[in-house]
Amino acid sequence: MNGFLCNRFNLIACTGRFSDIAVAMGENIEGLSFRAAADVAIDAIKVLSADVGIPSGLKELGVKERDLHVMAQNAMKDACSFTNPRTATLEDVMDIYRKALNNEGEAAAFSSTPSQKQEGENNFTENNYKCTNDNRSKKAKGASEVPKILRVNMTAKELKWEDVPEKYLALGGRALTSQMVLDEVPATCEALGGFNKLVIAPGLLSGTNAPSSGRLSVGGKSPLTGGIKEANAGGITSQKLANLGIKAMVLEGLPAGNDWYMIKINSEGAELIPANDLAGKGTYETTAICRQRYGEKVAVITIGPAGEMLMASAGVTNNDSDGNSSRYAGRGGLGAVMGSKKIKAIVVDCPKTFDAPVKDPERFKAAAKKFSKILLDHPVCGQGLPSYGTNVLMNIINEAGALPTRNFSRGRFDGANDVSGEKLAEVAKERGGKATHACHPGCIMRCSNVYPMPDGKVCAPIEYETAWCFGPNLEINDLDVVAKLNYICNDVGLDTIEAGCTLGVLAEAGVIPFGDGEAAIKALEEVEKGTSLGRIIGSGSTVAGKAFGVTRIPAVKGQGIPAYDPRSCKGNGVTYATTPMGADHTAGYAVTANILKVGGHVDPTKSEGQVELSRNLQVATAAVDATGLCLFVAFAVLDNPEGVPTIVEMINAQYGTELTPDDVVALGQQILKVEREFNKKAGFTKADDRLPEFFTTEEFEPHNTKFDIKDEELDEVFNF
Amino acid sequence: MLVEVRVFSGLERFLDQKRFGEPFSVEIKEGSSLRDLLEQIGIPEDQVFTTLIDGKYRELDYILNEGERVSLFPPVGGG
Repeated sequence: MNGFLCNRFNLIACTGRFSDIAVAMGENIEGLSFRAAADVAIDAIKVLSADVGIPSGLKELGVKERDLHVMAQNAMKDACSFTNPRTATLEDVMDIYRKALNNEGEAAAFSSTPSQKQEGENNFTENNYKCTNDNRSKKAKGASEVPKILRVNMTAKELKWEDVPEKYLALGGRALTSQMVLDEVPATCEALGGFNKLVIAPGLLSGTNAPSSGRLSVGGKSPLTGGIKEANAGGITSQKLANLGIKAMVLEGLPAGNDWYMIKINSEGAELIPANDLAGKGTYETTAICRQRYGEKVAVITIGPAGEMLMASAGVTNNDSDGNSSRYAGRGGLGAVMGSKKIKAIVVDCPKTFDAPVKDPERFKAAAKKFSKILLDHPVCGQGLPSYGTNVLMNIINEAGALPTRNFSRGRFDGANDVSGEKLAEVAKERGGKATHACHPGCIMRCSNVYPMPDGKVCAPIEYETAWCFGPNLEINDLDVVAKLNYICNDVGLDTIEAGCTLGVLAEAGVIPFGDGEAAIKALEEVEKGTSLGRIIGSGSTVAGKAFGVTRIPAVKGQGIPAYDPRSCKGNGVTYATTPMGADHTAGYAVTANILKVGGHVDPTKSEGQVELSRNLQVATAAVDATGLCLFVAFAVLDNPEGVPTIVEMINAQYGTELTPDDVVALGQQILKVEREFNKKAGFTKADDRLPEFFTTEEFEPHNTKFDIKDEELDEVFNF
Repeated sequence: MLVEVRVFSGLERFLDQKRFGEPFSVEIKEGSSLRDLLEQIGIPEDQVFTTLIDGKYRELDYILNEGERVSLFPPVGGG
């Protein structure tokens, strides 16, 4: 009786088994998710019940409201309740009976909103591993006053809350992930083995109402570069982690066997849950299922099939407020590290966004307000980024002759305007999308976008570097093709920049033609299938180049070079060569002074001044990445002398510290020293701080320049 | 003499029936500066943030030469 109500209640604990029931009852579940298949099963049970004359409601049996309590008590004592897949409290059973009595329909018996009690109830399934620290598992209130580190050991399947050691208290974001990786990960270890760790940390200011402060750092040893990696993402997770009082989470060890797991974290605690039903799914579906199960407001960190298959350029993603799993900590293959630990997803449930503890709220509020004004008053942060997003760069980089076209063969592409931010805004508006969009709550730059694709799906966002790598880099001038390639990467779980560089190398090898969008899409679709070509693509540009005998591989330390050619944006060339991350435009974004007229002007085609420019930017960037602020605040901060002091003021107000702007510079330098120390221990030398040979031998149109900054000068970047 | 002009990222609103990125020729007097050009085509100086001539950054008092490619931008950024 009322079996389907109980089934609905149990659904969350054993979704996969319900799809088995659907099959057993002769239902066709082909192409359905486990959850949808389970719904089919429950409907079939309802039909069967009616067919054999089982009463559909308690009223038909003469049951009254007053009987429910005794009935529920008896149900709790029933032997069957011990083997039920989902533990029910007395209230839960009462609730089911009440619905049955009032014939309210099964929908009310189980709701996926967090206000219903499903959060704490999974502790009964014996396959779940719960964090048992009492301080932690009770209430977030006490815990968030004292930040903790959540350690998930996948060898022992053990979750632990640890106090934050003194030395980590003043660190956050990249400062914390890099320090912990240096301290805990043997530099020579196998990146996909049991000694590597994945460290996830919100920034120092994340979870407060500091504007644009919701960036998340993900760190570990990179399977792509073999060196240290911090990949940085927007999305809604960082603020939630900070509001739960989580300074960092560490995934370590390797589980035996082939089972997949997910981690669920809320104010009650954290637990490890079997997740075989999510394995093999794309990130969009995984995120949708998790939001359906745990509530629409949850943040979901996840990997796609590329990460599950341990591909070296797999990324770790999380979602924006709309549930799009497109905010990637993309670079360096950390998705494969998460995959090696058999963690498919991490669900972070926290209703708060801006309530992380602040020591002096009044002082903080004043500083945050001032910082907002600094951002809004700056022409790039206040006008440029909010109008067209990052892809507004397409045309200016093209006009500057620094747009790598046809696998870094020349600096201008005739079709650049067709894949530009202006064009994107035009098409997005026409199709009911958005030209501007925030990747996390509280961002005032709103540089993201929502691009509706012809197939009815939505790609949000299309960033400049992605539009470049799938556009001019492949000589493709069709924004719909770019969006499709972007979407495939987001879904299968690949870093877009690496995928684009790799397709460029494959085009150079003649595996696909330049300018052929369909061929590029077809090749990228091989990744999900795990074919030989798909695995080569997922392994990144360097592996693909070696596999196909290509010598013009645009990569440093094994990581693909992004959207600004080092021969006509030489400051970025210095950054690509020397950053501990492998070629990374964000690590010291010299495009500012080279091309965008922000933070002074240094001629991008000359070698003079580039080393100093890159050094200063690398130091400043490392510090910004520690705060959780979006790197784009740098546009304003570089031009406004009040910028850095105001950031310091916010940190001091939040933590009761007495830092000065000089301490920020010292922090940035310290982060770089830590990262370089790891790389040195991993075997990196000066020889790894060099660009590929062809940048120094091939002249680059239209400025006919080569990369000519001397090796000795490159070795001076870290002379502090 | 003629120069080839392109405007981007919203500056096209100051021109009649021009699209962003669409090249058009402008006849200017010998010795004209970039500032003179802006005045001639009717784009307010304070709306222009970055000016590239043949792909190189130039100030507004730069004296233009025959056939140069002039690219005009409001404040833009990203990364």
